[in-house]
Amino acid sequence: MANSSLTQNLGRLKKILASPAGRAFLALALVLLVGAIFNAGGAFFKPGTHRDALRQMSVYGILACGLTPVIIAGGIDLAVGSLLALVAVVCARMAIHWSYPGFLAVAAGLLAGTACGSISGLITARLRVQPFIATLAMMVFARGLAKYASGGMKVSTAILGADGSYHYVEVPALFRALDHRILGGNVSVVTLVFAVCIAMAWLLMSRHQCGRYIYAIGGNEEASRLSGVPVVGIKTLVYAFSGMCAAVAGICQAAQEQQGDPEAGAGYELIAIAMVVIGGTSLMGGRGGIGLTFLGVLTIGYLDKILSINAVPEAGRLVLTGIIIIIAVLTQRRQRA
Amino acid sequence: MPSKFKTLVTNLVAAITVIGFAGCGKQETSPTPGASSTSGSQFIIGMCQCNLGEPWRVQMNADLQAAAAKHPELKLICKDAQNDTLQQRAQIEEFVSAKVNLLIVSPKEAQPLTEPVAHAIEAGIPVIVLDRRLMGDKYTCFIGADNQKIGKAAGEWIVKALGGKGNVVELMGLQTSTPGQDRHSGFMAGIAGSEIKIIFSADMKWLEPDARNEMESALARFDKIDLVYAHNDDGAHGAYLAAKAAGREKQVKFVGIDALPQEGVVYIQQGLLDATFQYPTGGAEAIDTAWKILHRETVPKEIVLGTRLFDRSNVAQGGVELK
Repeated sequence: MANSSLTQNLGRLKKILASPAGRAFLALALVLLVGAIFNAGGAFFKPGTHRDALRQMSVYGILACGLTPVIIAGGIDLAVGSLLALVAVVCARMAIHWSYPGFLAVAAGLLAGTACGSISGLITARLRVQPFIATLAMMVFARGLAKYASGGMKVSTAILGADGSYHYVEVPALFRALDHRILGGNVSVVTLVFAVCIAMAWLLMSRHQCGRYIYAIGGNEEASRLSGVPVVGIKTLVYAFSGMCAAVAGICQAAQEQQGDPEAGAGYELIAIAMVVIGGTSLMGGRGGIGLTFLGVLTIGYLDKILSINAVPEAGRLVLTGIIIIIAVLTQRRQRA
Repeated sequence: MPSKFKTLVTNLVAAITVIGFAGCGKQETSPTPGASSTSGSQFIIGMCQCNLGEPWRVQMNADLQAAAAKHPELKLICKDAQNDTLQQRAQIEEFVSAKVNLLIVSPKEAQPLTEPVAHAIEAGIPVIVLDRRLMGDKYTCFIGADNQKIGKAAGEWIVKALGGKGNVVELMGLQTSTPGQDRHSGFMAGIAGSEIKIIFSADMKWLEPDARNEMESALARFDKIDLVYAHNDDGAHGAYLAAKAAGREKQVKFVGIDALPQEGVVYIQQGLLDATFQYPTGGAEAIDTAWKILHRETVPKEIVLGTRLFDRSNVAQGGVELK
């Protein structure tokens, strides 16, 4: 009797572990276990470490939120890192140099990001350019715009006067608010912004008809078109959403750096894509979900933090990160077979 | 099938165009200087900047232009190689075939650019090499700062500021780059013999967000940190932001390097950093030297620039020169 319930429980456990979410949980648990073992003299058990780790992964996580629907729809968006820089510059210029109220700077940033995302989407969906190429073009274009809008300099609180000397202004309230901590100093505001982005992506993908369309397009685009799915509209929408998330990330980045850096976000797109993939979302499209992405973000984010508190040298960090990504992806593949 | 092939070709062409544009997007279109350098100005100086993505190099170009503006007979044409070695090589060759009177090169890397510069010398064009070195001696004059000396000055300042002992966090610039290595080894020489302990060191790759993250780790591990030595001001500022978020910025001193007017110096004025050491661009010195060469005066083969210390006591006076 007891024996049969045990095997039943074991079977259930096996089933959970075989599901994509179970695998993603397992990867995260392993990383956290490594952290608990190599705890850097107890630093891993301090609540502040976790608050900082969550703050640190938030910008990448926000990008990953935008990328998830794009990747599920069978696309890719390489432009998010550059869009982040563009929006950071636009937002810093408006909020710091022109002292616009915060909501206007945010609105302009979101508009810029969403517009660039929509353009990528339209080029991909209507002009049928491969998403890799279309968003590569947008990546270069947006980086150029960011450098143009900033004049090649970081947009900071130091402002060059007409006589060649610098005067400086206060850090705008918007940036202070975003780089603040709430709930007794235990949660960073950017982490909450990340949570909101997860919620938005979840609404887009599970609680809405268009969510089913996104999966359908990723599964088989031609069949979706034939069965009446508005392919062009949905594809444009997912890229626009990705652009908007990149804009949110850009605003958060500017707030945390207290400046708009036209070089910011270089290479972030690859980390965000790795986070989506390590969660278990397929790069081939049609499979995955935002919950998996959240687990992927936690896994890579915590891995980075654990290597950092142990002061592992750069070379070792890169090697270890590469190995762990491969292991995680291989476990995902076995589950499919 | 043919239509699929066509799409592929179109996409490839698009990709090549994009990459091509990216490569030469910001190249400044300049009037062909040619030998006809008599139109208004007497001498044309070509400047090959390896990239204008870093504020420090933007400052170098600004310094060059400001210095050149003082000599109406000099005309300065700047090109930006966008961190692409072959692009920079092509730009050097363009200047040589346009027969400019003098060339200033701030090379991206030594090996591939040594020969193009040597060809310029063979073509009778004097070359001033700025900041990074080339191999061999086929150039007219090298102007650069000494990162090891600056790191040592920072180390000595820190020994004095901490009274000879204390816990220091070192946030290093990219450790595969020579400036990062020199700023570290110079610093170690500067603190040698004191009781200063480096309790945490990390490679923040010159980036402010990375510095902030590493500093958070250091703060989580150690309750007593007396000073942060960062290899650039961005890093020191990132560390300051991390300490401020932890409410510990008053217990820690922050020291950076570079002292750009709109970054490090402003951070000192705002009371965020405690000291920064200038890494001079050499722009003004390059134009001075160029003027001397063009007027057939002899110049030394190598000019090593000094550094200036900016701290809270002297920032209003524009820092002090260190020997």
